[in-house]
Amino acid sequence: MVKSFISILVAVLITISLSVLEQTYVKNTFSEFKEIMVIVYEKIENDTATKEDVLSAQKYWINKKEKLHIFIPHNDIKEIDLWLAESTTLVENDKKEDALSKIDVVIELIEQIPKIYSLRIENLL
Amino acid sequence: MAIIFLRSAIIFIVLLIIMRFMGKRQIGEMQPFELVVTLVISELACIPMSDVSIPLIYGISAILSIFVFHQIFTLIEQSGRFLKFIVSGKPSLIINKRGIDFKELKNNNLDVSDLMESLRGLGYYSLDNVKYAIYESNGTLTAIADENKSKLEMSILIVKDAKPIINNLNILNCNFYEIQSFLKKQGLKPEKVGILTIDGAGNYYAQEYGKPYKTGIFPLKAGVKW
Repeated sequence: MVKSFISILVAVLITISLSVLEQTYVKNTFSEFKEIMVIVYEKIENDTATKEDVLSAQKYWINKKEKLHIFIPHNDIKEIDLWLAESTTLVENDKKEDALSKIDVVIELIEQIPKIYSLRIENLL
Repeated sequence: MAIIFLRSAIIFIVLLIIMRFMGKRQIGEMQPFELVVTLVISELACIPMSDVSIPLIYGISAILSIFVFHQIFTLIEQSGRFLKFIVSGKPSLIINKRGIDFKELKNNNLDVSDLMESLRGLGYYSLDNVKYAIYESNGTLTAIADENKSKLEMSILIVKDAKPIINNLNILNCNFYEIQSFLKKQGLKPEKVGILTIDGAGNYYAQEYGKPYKTGIFPLKAGVKW
């Protein structure tokens, strides 16, 4: 009986701690990344963006996504990779309007992905 | 992970309720919640293993959740008779001194052919060889032999739920009208007969719904044997 109680307690504690870690890490990472992408978006809008700006955003993302792979299905992460890579090429080729629309998609994905994995009733049912 | 934990909890509870409603026929040597664990855990382990796009932690957290529910339900089961009844159900006395309890049989989504099959598995080939039979909450059948009656003749089901089993009638080389008139002679109403079995020596076992069983001799035609 005592062994059962302890095992339940340990398993529940592991689940709760990992859940808190996951929720916090995913939320913080995506909110930081969103700030970076909004800056990139504004720079493109003001014609001050360079390829390096997008590349540094991409570098940040590559660094963070390694850990995000633990918590988020890889297909969702790949989606951001692809849009970001496309934006880099468009900025390099001075296709401002196209680049803006791609960055817009990246920002939208950054907003939506954490919502899919957050603790909400619509995600439970 | 919190979502996976809660989703696993929902699926676990729903599966358990469904299993309880399905009755003992679906279980087979496991308590309902143990069967739910077995059903769910193999899938949980397989999906993240085979699909590389799903983080392994999804499978691990779901398996951890199932472990927690298993432990909780084991504790609930051990904590009292009422809770044990809610989680695992109760044993059902299917055969008593009056014969088959058709109501209990129906409550467990079983019919007389399922009962005969389970009895054959235990080595009882004729219903009147059995004094008591209980379907345990884990779906296994336990039977106590009637020591006064130890025949080794194989019974076949002739009437089930007041309907004839045509193939078995052919073995007897008679038609349903002959069976109906035989039942009437024995004081039984054919439309209320839940079961009629006849063994190779011509011993019959018949029972109307809600009444005690009757046994006797059925006159087998010449040349009929199995």
